Amino acid sequence: MEKSDGKTGTVSRRTFLKGVTGAGLTGAVAALTGCKSTGKPAGGTGWTPQQYNVPENWPVQVRGRVPIDTENPSIVRDDKKCILCGQCIEACSKVQSVQGYYELPIKDDITCVNCGQCSLWCPTAAISERDDVDKVIAALKDKNLHVIVQTAPATRVAVGEEFGMPPGSIIEGKMVAALKKMGFDGVFDTNFTADLTIMEEGTELVTRVKNALAGGHGGGEGGHHAPMALPQFTSCSPGWVKFCEYFYPDLLDHMSTCKSPQQMLGALAKTYYAKKKRIDPVKIVSVSIMPCTAKKFEAARPEMNSAGIKNGNAKMIDVDYALTTRELAKMMKIFQIDLTALKDQRYDNIMGEGTGAAVIFGTTGGVMEAAIRSGYFLLTGQNPPELLFNLEPVRGLQGVKKAALNVPGVGELRVAISHGLGNARVLLDQLRDDKKNHREPRFHFIEFMSCPGGCIGGGGQPRTALPPSDAVRQARLDSLYTMDAKIYKKRLSHENKEVQQIYTEFLGKPNSKLAHELLHTKYTDRGSHLTAKKKA
Amino acid sequence: MSKAVLVDVTKCYGCGACTVACKLWNGKKYDDAKKPTVGEKAQLTDINWTVVSKHQVPDASGKTVWRFAKKQCLHCEEPACASSCLVGALRKTEEGPVVYYPDLCVGCRYCMIACPFGIPKYEWDKSFPEVSKCQMCSSRLAKNEVPACVSVCPNGVMKFGDSDQILKDARATIASDKRYIKHIYGEKEAGGTAWMYISDQPFEKLAFKTAVKNQSLPEYTWKIINKIPAALVVWGGILTGVYMITNRRNAVKSSKNNENKGGKS
Ligand code: SF4
Ligand code: SF4
Ligand code: SF4
Ligand code: SF4
Repeated sequence: MEKSDGKTGTVSRRTFLKGVTGAGLTGAVAALTGCKSTGKPAGGTGWTPQQYNVPENWPVQVRGRVPIDTENPSIVRDDKKCILCGQCIEACSKVQSVQGYYELPIKDDITCVNCGQCSLWCPTAAISERDDVDKVIAALKDKNLHVIVQTAPATRVAVGEEFGMPPGSIIEGKMVAALKKMGFDGVFDTNFTADLTIMEEGTELVTRVKNALAGGHGGGEGGHHAPMALPQFTSCSPGWVKFCEYFYPDLLDHMSTCKSPQQMLGALAKTYYAKKKRIDPVKIVSVSIMPCTAKKFEAARPEMNSAGIKNGNAKMIDVDYALTTRELAKMMKIFQIDLTALKDQRYDNIMGEGTGAAVIFGTTGGVMEAAIRSGYFLLTGQNPPELLFNLEPVRGLQGVKKAALNVPGVGELRVAISHGLGNARVLLDQLRDDKKNHREPRFHFIEFMSCPGGCIGGGGQPRTALPPSDAVRQARLDSLYTMDAKIYKKRLSHENKEVQQIYTEFLGKPNSKLAHELLHTKYTDRGSHLTAKKKA
Repeated sequence: MSKAVLVDVTKCYGCGACTVACKLWNGKKYDDAKKPTVGEKAQLTDINWTVVSKHQVPDASGKTVWRFAKKQCLHCEEPACASSCLVGALRKTEEGPVVYYPDLCVGCRYCMIACPFGIPKYEWDKSFPEVSKCQMCSSRLAKNEVPACVSVCPNGVMKFGDSDQILKDARATIASDKRYIKHIYGEKEAGGTAWMYISDQPFEKLAFKTAVKNQSLPEYTWKIINKIPAALVVWGGILTGVYMITNRRNAVKSSKNNENKGGKS
């Protein structure tokens, strides 16, 4: 550090150089003007998102942002748009209890459950889904391929928002019409496999409950060594599933072995549907429209190739592309489809029928309500009483909900529901504690949804005014209940004709060997990829 | 009082917020597709003054762990870049930053060759190119603010303070926690730098230059420069003159630095 002699040196050196070479342009200018000052130093006097500039920025005013792996299958970030506001951290940490719930240093993974809540909260849309629209459009253009699509329950009360309709607008028929217009060869309803999920998951629950009643630890149907732990957890929300795999792997025995409705439909499209329609499954491209970014991760899970294995080609995956509701809107705009102007159309059969019980899968508490309706039937052989068609305690946006009902011949069936993964921890920590102290399980069945409000508030849904508000969630949620009560003719999954048909023609009965091969799955203990914080 | 920053590699999860803060403050362009600021391909360039490079390192038990290392100019206590500069366009300030004055630069790029860490870059794409490197937010330091990158890190990876205190803290941390390797990178490297690092993984595994001499570099910088005539033919004629000046400078210098230089040839 030789400030003073550095300065005199500077002048003399520059003068020297001027004489020899004429120096560079700047040097020359400096020379001509006889400038002796150093000019401005490099580096900005730009803008950083601090609220005010004060000496010592500690504690930091800007909380940085969530880490996103460049390989993340669900979400990507555009640095150009990021303003370092830290909203993504708020969502990830406060709502989902992911960021900040593991110790540093990290191990060999950037912990992310792919829920996409950060993409909803990000005010500049710097975070968005990994865009697969181009690939789907390319598949649609290829005349050799048979491109089918399924749409999740929650998409039909949200995609209208992207076309200026109020939140909760019911546009199922128009959405189907738009998909047909874009050239999909088969437009199916994830509601169909939601009903099927109820049959499979309900049967699984009945088995677990009966097993507990018998006081035994028997194997599952047909000796599949199915886990028997109670409470049974729902498994249709892939963000929730990954969360459990990361933070509560010791409880994976409680997870229903059922695949999510998306994956069930994918597996059936390349087996059941291909066979019935005499299409080479290799030619089928299976697309899904989901309210969810985690569905992209789920579709890419290596074990999600049951149809491939059945067809002797393990590389064939069950669902090729999972698009979000936002991507669907983008596609419609690319195809210049005015959604509002379309005439309603219906889903294609043999995987297009859905009941009211299926459509409420898109809400928090919906899977539970649907399962109770058909579970009652599976346990007693009778349809449930009127009360069970409007199960208020499981509805609404309260973080954790509980209910109990009497089932003849079984006794009291106790259930709980949570949405937003921060709320899941309440029930999970309690269960861990109960198990440690050898207490009887408090519940028989728990529904977990990754996102606040359930799928209607999913990370792939249209962005709303900030922050994502309960008013919008409530509007979408009300519409699904309206569809269940007023629009759909049937309200019981087991009354779905196409579901009955697939059992008689293809699967046999719920939880059969074939059903297990195609519709059930296994989970991965991800506990070794992070150090979970003891108490965050 | 000279300022310093301590980077704790174990706390970084690779979010890249620091790299964005740098671009926001310094108005640098983004070209992350080709030369990203975060990840395995992260690369310091004329517009990426700081990057967070990802490294997969086998830990003690043989399992691979991921580590992210935030890199930028180390702001040497006795910067080779500044000593090599013919016109004093690079200067060590009292607050710690090694600052570049573009108005003085003649574009010779000696600094790029002199820097033992390969930090200074050149704006090849511009018609009036400048040398380009991290300024340690000297404009913020002047206002008693911490560097932009430091101010946005969600995990407190970087600690800013007076260099004596920072070094003390670094020593205390690695002494009290057995996970850390017993080496403060930057304490001795190149005669000491204002940016220092502590880590639980060996620095060479995180692509830090560990072959750097533990002495200040201005000395042999000049010998290197003398050996690359091909790249600098135009300048060949004046090198002698430069050499004279340098010799004078070094004479002043060596009287100050004799203790950590070892045998001089
Ligand atoms: S997708 Fe979910 S878990 Fe992943 S960073 Fe975003 S909010 Fe966090
Ligand atoms: S929410 Fe978006 S803009 Fe804000 S810090 Fe996160 S990525 Fe950046
Ligand atoms: S790291 Fe290189 S560019 Fe930075 S001060 Fe040291 S010598 Fe100069
Ligand atoms: S902001 Fe902090 S945690 Fe994020 S990459 Fe930079 S140093 Fe690492």
